[in-house]
Amino acid sequence: MKQPLNINSNGILYRKDNTLKYTNKEVDKTIPIHAINEINCYGKVSLKSGAITLLQNEKIIVNSFNKYGHYQGSLYPKITLNSGTTIVKQALAYNNPDQRNYIAQEIVQGMKHNMRKTLMYYSKKGKNVTEYIEKIEKEPILNKNINQILSSEGKLWQHYYPAFNEITKNFPLKKREFRPPTNEMNALISFGNSLLYTTTLSEIYHTYLHPSISFLHEPRERRFSLACDIADIFKPIIVSRTIFKLVNTNMINKKSFKDDVGVYLTDKGRQKFIEEYNNKLKTTIKHPNLNKKVSYRYLIRLEGYKLIKHILNDKTYESFKAWW
Amino acid sequence: MYVIIIYDINTKRVNKVHKYLKTYLTWIQNSVFEGEITKSQYQTITTELKTLIDEEKDSIIIYEIPEKYLNRTIIGYEKNPMTMIL
Repeated sequence: MKQPLNINSNGILYRKDNTLKYTNKEVDKTIPIHAINEINCYGKVSLKSGAITLLQNEKIIVNSFNKYGHYQGSLYPKITLNSGTTIVKQALAYNNPDQRNYIAQEIVQGMKHNMRKTLMYYSKKGKNVTEYIEKIEKEPILNKNINQILSSEGKLWQHYYPAFNEITKNFPLKKREFRPPTNEMNALISFGNSLLYTTTLSEIYHTYLHPSISFLHEPRERRFSLACDIADIFKPIIVSRTIFKLVNTNMINKKSFKDDVGVYLTDKGRQKFIEEYNNKLKTTIKHPNLNKKVSYRYLIRLEGYKLIKHILNDKTYESFKAWW
Repeated sequence: MYVIIIYDINTKRVNKVHKYLKTYLTWIQNSVFEGEITKSQYQTITTELKTLIDEEKDSIIIYEIPEKYLNRTIIGYEKNPMTMIL
């Protein structure tokens, strides 16, 4: 299985013998190009033009983050999976209020289901989260227009995040705040979400979908909003579960944070988070319809395939709802 | 699948094989590569290797191991650690 390459240090990435080589003062390492599916740079990394050409040909996305772990941008390879029909149909589906509302509310339904599942898992482990589960269950998803759907999405998150205080006592989350995150839990959530955003983006790259035409979020300039849509479905299952594991097993503690303009993870803390996050994505589960084992990462791509089937009027879209 | 590839190849051709395997697997020690590949990559690698070597004089052995049964012990220092976090 291909893995993402994470670069936490400063150095130069160049092409040598038809593969990649990374070098700085301490390491001098050859990276097998066919064994990686994306590159995430958290340190200051220079890419030489040979490396860029190679990455473009191998269709590998390079995501860069700044020193706070904020997503800065991607080196997006040329689009090889090109389908005019899909993009036109995707834009038409966005423009048609019925279609758009259907897809948007389906995304929110999936999100709601997965939030409930995540909390149920911890409820079985003896955490007192029943009241939050009830609140989430009772929240109706109004689907008259897109603003109603968006507001129910916001309300769902408002019911969901306070449950974090019950599941873990180490880092209380008073209020969800970002730009900049004001406490440890907010920092973890923000960093996890930006990781999931980039993972989703590289999975969308491998489908025919256009990453900027979205359904739930408003498509805007300078961002891939479809990635935000799809990432929302997986946030409770992937990001929250990773955070709880890290915090409850004390893999991340007070020492893993630093105070800057806000609270941020240190390099070591970030490394631990990335390792655990990648392990989560690698975990496989049996898919009932495909009848084989698929990883969480592949589940994200399947969402893309399902959306394509929907907009081409092949099969109605049903968002991912954790079945276990 | 997880594979270990070891080879004994005449110096005239060894560099070609080394360079080729580097694009798929991690170089562990002299003449040893290992790593995780897919079934189709395995096919590609084996066909390509056949064209690179002289089948009468060189030898390559490929071990296939299910990853859950893999037990790796290192004595001495690790020449080239297999990590995807740098």
